[in-house]
Amino acid sequence: MPPSSQQPTGERRPRALVIDHAWRGLGPGLEPLSGPGGAPLTRTVKLIVLPLIVRPALRPELAADFLEPAQAARLDGLIRDSGAHLAATAQWFTLLKKARRALGIVAGNPQDLYFQRCFELATEHGAPAADAGADVTARAVVEEVADTSGGRTVDALKDHLADAARRFRLDGELAAAWERRPPDTTDAASAAAITARAAEALDTCGAPGLTCTSPSYTAMVEAGHGGLFGRALWADTRGVWGRDDLPTHLGLTGRRTPPRPEVGRGASTATLPAPLDRTLFERLFVVLQSSAHREELPTVPELVARETGRSCAPLGLYDESLRVAVVLGGRLAAGLDPLGTGGPPGRTAAHRAVNSRWQREASVLRARRMTVSPHPDPDGGVLDALAQDLRTPWAAYMRRLWVRLHGRDVRDAPLPDLASAWSVLDGVARSVMMDHRARVRSALRSLSTGSHASAAGARSA
Amino acid sequence: MAGAEARAGVEVRVSRGEDGTIRIAVDGEVAAVEPDLDFTRAVLDVAGAVLTWPVLGDADGDPDRLPSAEIHDPGRAQQWLWAVYGERVAAAVHDCGRATGDLTGVRVIAHPTALAGSAARLALGHWAARWWPTSYPDAIPALQPDLLGLELATLTHHCQQLFDGGGDGYGDDADDDQLDDCAAELIAEHEAALDRLLQWWRGAPQQADVASHLESVLRLIDDAADAAGLDGPALRELRSALDGRGPAGPQADPGALFARRDGHALAAGEPLGTGGRLIARGQGTNDWRRYPPGFVDAAENAVTWTARAVGARRRIEVEVVAHSAAPTAGASLVAEVHVNGGDPHRVPLTRRDDLWTGRRELDPELLGGVPTPRIEVGILLPGFDPAPGAPDGRIARAREAVRALVRRRLTAATEPTAHDGSPHDTPSAPFLAETAAAATDEDY
Repeated sequence: MPPSSQQPTGERRPRALVIDHAWRGLGPGLEPLSGPGGAPLTRTVKLIVLPLIVRPALRPELAADFLEPAQAARLDGLIRDSGAHLAATAQWFTLLKKARRALGIVAGNPQDLYFQRCFELATEHGAPAADAGADVTARAVVEEVADTSGGRTVDALKDHLADAARRFRLDGELAAAWERRPPDTTDAASAAAITARAAEALDTCGAPGLTCTSPSYTAMVEAGHGGLFGRALWADTRGVWGRDDLPTHLGLTGRRTPPRPEVGRGASTATLPAPLDRTLFERLFVVLQSSAHREELPTVPELVARETGRSCAPLGLYDESLRVAVVLGGRLAAGLDPLGTGGPPGRTAAHRAVNSRWQREASVLRARRMTVSPHPDPDGGVLDALAQDLRTPWAAYMRRLWVRLHGRDVRDAPLPDLASAWSVLDGVARSVMMDHRARVRSALRSLSTGSHASAAGARSA
Repeated sequence: MAGAEARAGVEVRVSRGEDGTIRIAVDGEVAAVEPDLDFTRAVLDVAGAVLTWPVLGDADGDPDRLPSAEIHDPGRAQQWLWAVYGERVAAAVHDCGRATGDLTGVRVIAHPTALAGSAARLALGHWAARWWPTSYPDAIPALQPDLLGLELATLTHHCQQLFDGGGDGYGDDADDDQLDDCAAELIAEHEAALDRLLQWWRGAPQQADVASHLESVLRLIDDAADAAGLDGPALRELRSALDGRGPAGPQADPGALFARRDGHALAAGEPLGTGGRLIARGQGTNDWRRYPPGFVDAAENAVTWTARAVGARRRIEVEVVAHSAAPTAGASLVAEVHVNGGDPHRVPLTRRDDLWTGRRELDPELLGGVPTPRIEVGILLPGFDPAPGAPDGRIARAREAVRALVRRRLTAATEPTAHDGSPHDTPSAPFLAETAAAATDEDY
């Protein structure tokens, strides 16, 4: 086939290009929202242009990566019409950044925190007036954004659980809820049937061009397969993953079966136990540590009240779609192969996608001189420990997956379809890789400065 | 900037692999670099893909050559594909992602852009931070890590179109999967050198291109820090200096500003081996891939060994020239000794002044039998070592080519820039760390 050489003019064009050209056509005044070369900042596109101006949900014809000429013209027009609004947004952003500096706030990325607010301010007020009033408004917004926790903090949790009578009552509730758990009716055969359905769903995920839809996912949610799997964990039903060398719980507990949750009174990110071994305090500590979507959280007393029942539910989760996601994640984790050793059969499209990303990652790390030996090395110290984790990748995967699903459960954010579930499963796979990378980097840094490795970024309460 | 100027077209091939990965291969390029030549690749982790450039360049020495790409998320990659390769390649990737038929590849003409040049420069900078062959015997000065780190921060910001923030925000904050989307981290990590960078700039370097390069880097650091919401005394001083409120400074010598604090004094260290009868001595292999940067001098002859007979005992002694910044504690570099092709024996090394040294007894049987035992010595960091490369001379030749490359770059760094335009848009322009290193050259 000869190289294609026809000009694409008059044909569909990349949406990103259309946005870029329209943006540059708006002229000066947008520098605070633009990169050094004049293109809109990635976050400007992601947080302002797409959700607030283009609004693909209202205009599905603009939701594609490539646009026909008519749609491209439409998009171009939308952005050009917003020129004055965007310039006002840019001025508010500059003002908010100034207020932030004056207040000595350094937490969080200002683009993430303020972009949407600035657009709203521009809608409400137009450009900021050149008087003190605009400064006052800016300061108020910055302060408000900095304090969206609404008392939903680790300190509030600590205070709430410091009360002896309350602790006693919660302990009793946990004991009763644990007692009331439904009996396990899952035998090895039905557990294996459940994971086989999970494999069917996973085989439609991961690769571009795949639809990422499967009747299996909905069927599993409706049949309560996630709950069944959670109960199989309590009974330590074996042979679920089709591999004798894998425990059924895949590291979700450090024991044979999950223990009854305790109330707890402290936590540290450096020493958190396996997810299902965590205390009530530890489970909520992780939730309150995360800054994102804080406004969706219930108040601390309600969080605690609901967590009592949740921690005794199958897999420590209420929502069935999230439990099914654990099963899918388990099936995926059981076939992870970060070291590229070939591994067990039964790989799905999702496995091929994730494992090939691990291989790409290994190749990037070699090119960046950040390797760990693929084979065990008794003299290897901290690096050998990292390599060991790669030989049991399912543990880190399930740990991260559970935290993310738990974060959704407390915010009532289920996973309604396979595509959204896959997006979480895939994101966790990436996070596990990034964790590995960050730990290798930190280990190498401490080795080359001759100091001992420390748990960077560990937080505790 | 991006996409505006049309340069000569380059033919690329777009194809899709079995695992769904879409590849863009620059025509005529060898598809994959052998793993033991990893140090000749510059890579960049961007939204939805990994970009790769050969560091040693091609026969034409084209500095603005396009990268090859492995795209694992075509949707995310669409934000920059058009700006790096041009519209046709973006469209081909789009079609490839949705096609169910032909996966073997289509040929498309790509048009390199300024963004492609900046990305290549950023990737090369990351490469230099890890593989720069600093050596005392080879007279290749070190690059000051903070200085290079700050310039990498500016380049990352300059290339912001290539990166996005991933993740859904539920459960944890560490969602970002792009190693190289790290302008804020780089500034925070290397902030300590801002002060010296400012002194250099205030001293108004005589070379006009160095002065404008410095100012451009400083302004981009300020802009990147502002965009990321960083603040602190060093950054405030930078801002007021850029606003013209800082004093002009005395002429500042970058060599002195960024000189290493730890001098090299090869004479130190008492001789390891005393007494005994010399059996053999020789040079070991200095395979850079087997230990992290900053441990060992990159010279080909940095590793030497001596085998001795002491009474009935047989002993091997290993000496390795240390990197000037090598740690004195904590890390346990070892030598791996093979005698007559047998199993490896490890010799733990400790750093004494400018040398890593170690010795161990060997089974006399090993050294007996043949009149001239064949001894091979390599060095490695346990747990890091990805395994030795093939002993066929390719790797040594590639190391020599890397030394030649950095020597060319250091020489070029002392000369006025040949090209005009932004220093951020091409890998061939010297990094500030190279300019400073070239100025310290006389120390060697």
